[in-house]
This record gives sequence, C-alpha cells and structure tokens, in this order.
Amino acid sequence: MASLSLDPVGISSETLELLLAGASPAFGATARRSALAAYEALPFPTASYGRYWKHDLHKIDLTHVVTGAAPATGFAAPEIFTRDARSAQIACIDGVVAIELSDALRARGVIVTDLATARRDHASLLEAALGTTVNASADKYAALALAFQNVGAFVYVPAGVAVDHPIVIRYAAVANDAFPYTVISAGENARVTVIEQLVTGEAPRFICGIAEIVVGTRARVDYAIVQSANIQSKTMIARGATVGSDAVVRIGLAELGSALTVDTLKALEHAPGGHTDVAGLFFATGDQHVDLSTQVDHAVGSTTSNTIIKSAASDRGQARYLGNIRIRKSAHGSDSSLRDDVLLLSETAHVDSIPALEIAANDVKAFHGATVGAIDAEQLFYLMSRGVPRIEAERLIALGFFEPAIAQFPTETLRAHLREALEAKVTAQ
Amino acid sequence: MSDRGLRIKDLRASVAGKQILNGIDLIVEPGKVHALMGPNGSGKSTLAFAMTGHPNYEVLGGSVTLDGEELLGLPPDKRAKAGLFLSFQYPAAIPGVSVANFIRTARQSVNPTDLPPAKFRKMIFEKLDVLDMDSAFLSRSVNDGFSGGEKKRLEMLQLAILNPKYAVLDETDSGLDVDALESVGKSVSAMRETGEGKETGFLIITHYPRILQHIKADVVHIMMDGRIVKTGGPELANEIEREGYDKIREEVAGGVA
Repeated sequence: MASLSLDPVGISSETLELLLAGASPAFGATARRSALAAYEALPFPTASYGRYWKHDLHKIDLTHVVTGAAPATGFAAPEIFTRDARSAQIACIDGVVAIELSDALRARGVIVTDLATARRDHASLLEAALGTTVNASADKYAALALAFQNVGAFVYVPAGVAVDHPIVIRYAAVANDAFPYTVISAGENARVTVIEQLVTGEAPRFICGIAEIVVGTRARVDYAIVQSANIQSKTMIARGATVGSDAVVRIGLAELGSALTVDTLKALEHAPGGHTDVAGLFFATGDQHVDLSTQVDHAVGSTTSNTIIKSAASDRGQARYLGNIRIRKSAHGSDSSLRDDVLLLSETAHVDSIPALEIAANDVKAFHGATVGAIDAEQLFYLMSRGVPRIEAERLIALGFFEPAIAQFPTETLRAHLREALEAKVTAQ
Repeated sequence: MSDRGLRIKDLRASVAGKQILNGIDLIVEPGKVHALMGPNGSGKSTLAFAMTGHPNYEVLGGSVTLDGEELLGLPPDKRAKAGLFLSFQYPAAIPGVSVANFIRTARQSVNPTDLPPAKFRKMIFEKLDVLDMDSAFLSRSVNDGFSGGEKKRLEMLQLAILNPKYAVLDETDSGLDVDALESVGKSVSAMRETGEGKETGFLIITHYPRILQHIKADVVHIMMDGRIVKTGGPELANEIEREGYDKIREEVAGGVA
C-alpha cells in the first residue's frame, strides 16, 4: 500500500510542506530536502537478525506525523530531577523553549540554547560540531530527523570550564511529533554532565532524532538519556560521539518507554588516550520492541572503552542488542570490553543479543562476555528460603541484575529514578 | 505441647531420579541442639534441602511438621514464615542486591509486624558486632565476591536476625578458619542465651565434630546411606572424632547381618 510507505508517492507535497513548516529555522529548506532525498534513497534496516523485527519500519506513515499543531499548554513534564541541583536547563515542550542559565555560567562562555538560536548567534561553534559524529546522509533515520528537525538543543562548554551540576535537556512531545537534535560540545579540559529526558503526553508520538557529542582534548562529558515516552509511541535516535585526546566520554542510555525504540550509538575514539564508557539498559514489557546498537570504534592506539548493557524482556517484549567493538589496524594498544547480559522473564519474550568484536590490530586487549537466561533457580530458592515470596524475590533479583548498568549513570537521583522505573516494570508483569 | 518440635517422619526423597533419603525419623525439640553427622554422600544436605523445599528435591513420602504444621507441600517462603531456617553450605550470590536490603526484606517477610527502622538498625549493628563483621558488609551485594568465611558469617547474621524456631546449619563449619568458626559459635551462643533465641531448636549438619566444640550438642545422630543409623549423646561425636565412620559402618553392617 503506497499510502503506508514513505515512498515519495505516499507523502503529498502538501504534507511535506506542512512538515517543513513545522520545522525550526536551524536548517534551511535545501538541507532538509536533500536529507529527505537521502532518507528516501537509503534502504530500510533489514530483519536479518533472528525473528525480532516484527514492527515493520516500512509502515511509519509520515502522512500522520504532526508538527504543526499548537503546542500543548499546561503540560507538566514529569520532573525527575527536582531534588538535584542543576547548573542549567533547556526544556522544549513541543516547540516551546524555556531556558535556565545563570549569568555566571553565561559569563564563562557556557551556551545552553535551542538549535535555531545557536545557528543565529553561535554559528561557528555549532558548525564545528554539527554533523561531525552522525552522518545524516548515510543513516536513514538520521536523515529523516534532519529533514524535519523541529526541536533541538546546543550545549557548549568552553575550554577549561567545569560545570558543577548537570545541564538538563528536556524534550516533551505532547501535541506534536518531535524531531529533536542535540549537540553537545566540550572544549579542551572542559567538564560537563548532560542529562537528556524524553517524554510524551498521553497521545502516541513519533520521535526521530539525532544526538551528537564532541569531546575535546582532556575534556570529560557525562551524557545520560532517559527515554520514557508513552508505550504507543515510536522513538528512533541516532547518536554519535567523538572522543579527543586523553578525553573521557561516559554515555548512559536508558530506553524505558515507547512501543518501538531504535537507538543507535556510534562512538569514535580518534585520538590517543581517549576513553569511552557506554552503559545501556532497557526492559521490554508488554508489546514493547527495543532495538539498541552500540559501537565503539577504536581508530587509533592507546584508546580504551567499556560497554555494559543490561536488558530484560517480559510478556511479549521483543528486543535486539547489537554490540560492536571495532579496533582498526592502527589501534595498537587499545583496551576494550563489552559486557552484555539479558534476562528473560517470560516464555514469550525474546531478545537477540549480538555482540561483535571486529579486530584488525594485533596488540590489543579486548574482552567480551555475554549471558542470556531466566532468573536463576538457586538465587530464587535462596531468597525464598528466607521468607521472601516468589514475586518479591524475582523483583529483587531482576532489579539487582540491572544494578551494574544503573551504577554508571551520573547522579543519585537519576539512579533512583531508574530503579523506580524498572521496579514498576517488574511489578507490572 | 505434644506436637511441638521439628518432627521428621519417615522422610523419603530423591534428587535427579535417584532416591537419597530412605526414611528419616528425627525430632528436634525447641531449645535443643541436635547434631547430624555422617560421611560424604550419606544424604545430610539432601535432608536439609528436602525439608526447606528446594525445587530439585522430590519428596517421595513421609512428613515434616514444625510445631504441628505440615511443611511438605508449602513453598520455601511459607516454610520460612512457619519458622524454619537453613544456613546454606553454598549460599547463592545475588549481584546488585545489597545485604542491607536483603536482610530487611527477609525480616519483614518473616515478621511483617515488626521493629521500627531505628531499632532494626540497632539490632543489625549488634549482631554484626558479635560476628566481628564490618558494617561495610551491609552495602555489598549478597554473597557476591564473598570469601567462604564471609558467606558463612552472613548466614549466621541472617540466622540471628530472623530468629527462627528451628535452624538447620548445613556444614557451617566447612571451609572456615578457627577465627570464623569461633565467631559462628559465639553468634549461636549469643542467640541461645538471649530470651529471644532460647527456644530455637538446632539441627547442625556436619562431617567433622569440630563445630561441636563451639556449639554443644544435646543429641548426636549418625546418618549413612539415607538413614539415621545411630543416635546418642555428645560422646558419640567424640567417638567419630577418634575412630571415624568406619567403626559405625561395621557395627551397622554387623547389626543388619
């Protein structure tokens, strides 16, 4: 059915104009049209792995995408960081942007703004980072995100500046679908923690975005995302990071919501001394589908990385994790690890775990470990023998299973929030 | 009064299709310490697991009652609530679950109408002290990366905090150094001397009589090939110490012949 495809015939020029009208001025019409052309030209991700791919990505119907509706008013985005001090915040509820940034941080050159303003006021700083970690002409959904980008945030921390508390980016797709574009750039020796929160209202939403993180020499960026869109929504995000010399990036991905989540992270270590930590967790419950891919690309030697992914599925939850460590020929002396554990909580749940080490260099250390299994019978018996009822024992074991990934997230409030969210998922079984 | 006690009657059980327990009869009275001794493979741990309801152990017949309540057929958590406790020989590690959280959950499960948090906290610290355990223990994951001695101390901590009516200690002495064994003995003695744990009946399963120097047994049973073959006073343990199990095996064989 042509009307269900994204084939040019399926999207009327009227619809296209409407979508483009909903876009922000961060990208010109030419850039958007060429991104859309790239989207149309690129093949859909295929279902080549296992029996996972039940949500047919072909059936994302752009004619139903809403970007021109009046922004929601009075929407109270769940505030998960109220107990935490924050240094700055940008909230984008539909297209409406609210920014908190102290004069002191402004004076030190810290920028926290929306993408259109960044384009206008900080063009050269934005340009230096934009498109450097995610290639929107080669990634189908990144191309789509760029074509219709309507919300976005630019966080820039200049050389030598350490931001004390997290900078919070809050995206809420309430009355409109969201095509968010996040750009984080940290100069030499800069330090910053960025927490990105993605929520929706009650209505099913389509969210398709890009996040780019550029970490300068000896800088350190902690970037954590919590996606808790409602469970009728679809979320697809392409993320990229480049790690400078002796720099550290720590990325935490918590994909909790959405009917369908496609999250792709590519971190590139292109300078000696760089270090990447990736922690990911998801829990596919009900009919949720999650597709998470992470890649750490060691392009040069003396780079290190740790990836830890904890995932669970219950009910009819379906998921795929594709974990890749790439060590190029020139990356002698790199040291990487990939740990990927899957907990299956029902007979009808399914997770394909596909870790891969692509090693072209000789003198490297690369560790890889993966497990897939149900709740351990001995653990369960042990807890029950102490009087703990089965359901409670399973809950404890399942939450404990996630703990090594949770521990990688940057603030205690955030960790507590993740525990609560996961607990709610375990309890809802 | 007559049905008080942990009463095991003609208990038969198998594991992986192989019958291990061939009819066990044993009564542990409140406040008494019974030792169950026997060579490896005699079925001691099977008895412990069959009583507590391990899913791999199939009960073929008999009964186990706790102060009159039949335990067989109940899930393990209900047996714990009835007042049965097993100190595991090889307790499972539970990554990501802190000792503090585990112990709090267990205590609340066994005794829901219980101590206010401050009192509970005070109680934990007292018990830790008796066991020479550091409070840093509480924030570690249950048995995860624990040494053999640490695992057994944690079992004893749970025993002290859950204060069961009947406690089965399965090879608690195995793999323990002298200090750890002494802590275990101290903890059990402390429990038995306080009003709260005075009534707890113990079944101490052991291969070696060593632990019985720290916890004095009132009655000693010898188990072989899935049966209790001899019951006597504490002197029976000394006999095993001196002469091993062979003499008893000969006696039993002689008796049968």
